[in-house]
Amino acid sequence: MKRFVKIMILLTLAVALLAAAGCGGGDKDSGQAKEAKVLNIGFTGPLSGGAAFYGKDILTGLEMGVEQVNASGGVTVAGEKYTLKVTSLDDRYLPNEAATNARRLVKEYNASIIFCPHSGGIAAMQEFNEVENFLIAAYSSEPKLYARGNKLTLLLPPPYNSYIDPFIKKTMAEHGKKVAMIQSNAAYGKDWGTLFAPAWEKAGGTITINSPFSYNTETDFAPYVSKALATKPEVLFVGGASQPTAMVIKQARDQGFKGGLIVLDQAKFEDMADIIGMPALEGAIGIYPYYMNPRPDKAARDKFVSDYKTKYGKRPTYEHVWHYETALALGKALEKAGTVKDAAKIFESMRQVLPLDKSIAPIAIEGVSPKGGYTNLGMAAYIKNGQYGDPIDIPRTE
Amino acid sequence: MELYFQQLLNGLTLGSIYCLVALGLTLIYGIMHIPNFAHGHLYMVGAYCVLFLCTLYGLNYWMAILISMVILAVIGIIMERLVFHPLRDSPPTNSFIAAVGALLFLEAGATVLWGADYRRMPEVFDKVVNIFGIMATQQRLVVIFSALALMGALYLFMKKTLIGSTIEAMSQDREGAFLVGIDANMVSMMTFGVASALAAAAAGLAGPLFLVFPSMGGLLIIKAFVIIVLGGMGSIPGAVAGAYILGLAESLGATVFPAEYKDLVAFILLVIILSIRPTGLFAKEGR
Repeated sequence: MKRFVKIMILLTLAVALLAAAGCGGGDKDSGQAKEAKVLNIGFTGPLSGGAAFYGKDILTGLEMGVEQVNASGGVTVAGEKYTLKVTSLDDRYLPNEAATNARRLVKEYNASIIFCPHSGGIAAMQEFNEVENFLIAAYSSEPKLYARGNKLTLLLPPPYNSYIDPFIKKTMAEHGKKVAMIQSNAAYGKDWGTLFAPAWEKAGGTITINSPFSYNTETDFAPYVSKALATKPEVLFVGGASQPTAMVIKQARDQGFKGGLIVLDQAKFEDMADIIGMPALEGAIGIYPYYMNPRPDKAARDKFVSDYKTKYGKRPTYEHVWHYETALALGKALEKAGTVKDAAKIFESMRQVLPLDKSIAPIAIEGVSPKGGYTNLGMAAYIKNGQYGDPIDIPRTE
Repeated sequence: MELYFQQLLNGLTLGSIYCLVALGLTLIYGIMHIPNFAHGHLYMVGAYCVLFLCTLYGLNYWMAILISMVILAVIGIIMERLVFHPLRDSPPTNSFIAAVGALLFLEAGATVLWGADYRRMPEVFDKVVNIFGIMATQQRLVVIFSALALMGALYLFMKKTLIGSTIEAMSQDREGAFLVGIDANMVSMMTFGVASALAAAAAGLAGPLFLVFPSMGGLLIIKAFVIIVLGGMGSIPGAVAGAYILGLAESLGATVFPAEYKDLVAFILLVIILSIRPTGLFAKEGR
């Protein structure tokens, strides 16, 4: 009995505390309402588990962009002042969780724009976003997403099929026609492979081995690399997340591989060079490092790089800058659209406000194509004599 | 043919690392009958220790490994005192859950303290050597021989020192050990200390070859469990044999079969061995 009373007292206290906390929150909200309303920008991505690093990393760029919008006075939509807020929900990289999160973000947080950094989640949301009227800001280079003809999807990076032909042309000319494919066996790496393999053969090359493997559940990559090198390739096709990719390349170099490398677009040269150094990357073709990208205004780019470094202690890559500038453009688009609800109208205004003023645009987004992707050219680098060389323009194939 | 020798070398490296981790796991299981799921995460903490001692304090590689072994031994002893000792009289399920709790605590702790990023240890032995056409960095040879040396040291410790003998006595016969006056508390702490130090050594040796990140232990602990089941729970020679069998099966399996089936090779091997010897290769008698 005594114990029962004790528990009751504790429970009552807990309830009282919760209520108090609730009141506190309520007060704060109504206090803010007098100045500016809060407009939620949705985000669903992996925030726990093995891919948590990726999700949290992406989020930094978006948050920095939203902070920038708020710092310059928020947005005024149809005479009403709003501050933007990123509301992020964890989907553990799962498409079904992403879909559930999208529903929650729309219903509970009134979000009309949802960011998502993985193709599975984006595809799941595309099933109902036109009906439920929200815009997906998709960070994925999966070409299938373009093919679906969704009217409310904004695609940030260039689709990866754009890279295939230029990569093949350059590599064949420099290194030869025999390639061993040992990219990541995640869905993304495999899809890249299925487009790459026929294109390589069509260009007159041979594939000595096609053996993708797991970049994130293996302890040691050496056995796979040995197996691939035993087929005497002149080129290795590698790629997954930057850091494991760097280790795969290192294993290959340690085992005496001297040929060229085709690195799929998920892996970033600047991150890999930090781990294994430029000499190991000799003869590699991949994405041109963002911090050296010559296309945007140099001052705007350098300012973003240094601001990001100050805030997060590392160099930003494309993941961050695409999200950052998209957030800035979104702020302008909301004002122009005069609505925070109508996703189609916001998307239409997005097309109109781009390009942004050069001095504030660190990636200089040019515009939005009819299919919903940014129209910027992609940019590749071929590493020779320890240098990135001149940037190679990559037209976007949609 | 060259490929098979190359894979033999790869398999031996992998087996050596598995071995040091599995030895710790089997020691703890032998003495305390706890499946310490957090053991792989002690390996992770060990890797960070070596990494920081090398990069932040500029210590010599071997010194860094030695100091990490000491640090991890202390962490292991603290873990035994805080997590497992209070549960010694409760049902085994409680220790299971406590071990999983410790695992989550260590991983989340590492993520908060050091971030989720991949890091890389500086390479000390980065020269590439060519032995009859097999190319490898010196680091791989260092791993193989250091692991052998550590196993030798562990053998001497168990056979020639008083503490070692008490650990062995306790794992052979718990009641008998009590009867002759062996202090169970001391043995438990020592076992955790030695096991964690081995994990730190494994991490220090493997560090320059692999990446260091908070969830790195999760991959290894599953393999280590397979190994001690294969070798016989609690058996030291079993863990050694099991580790090399698994390491070689993985690297040679990857050669013969497509990458997708690699784990299949290891598990089919497990099924075959367990159906012939259900208690594992070197199971102790009378259990």
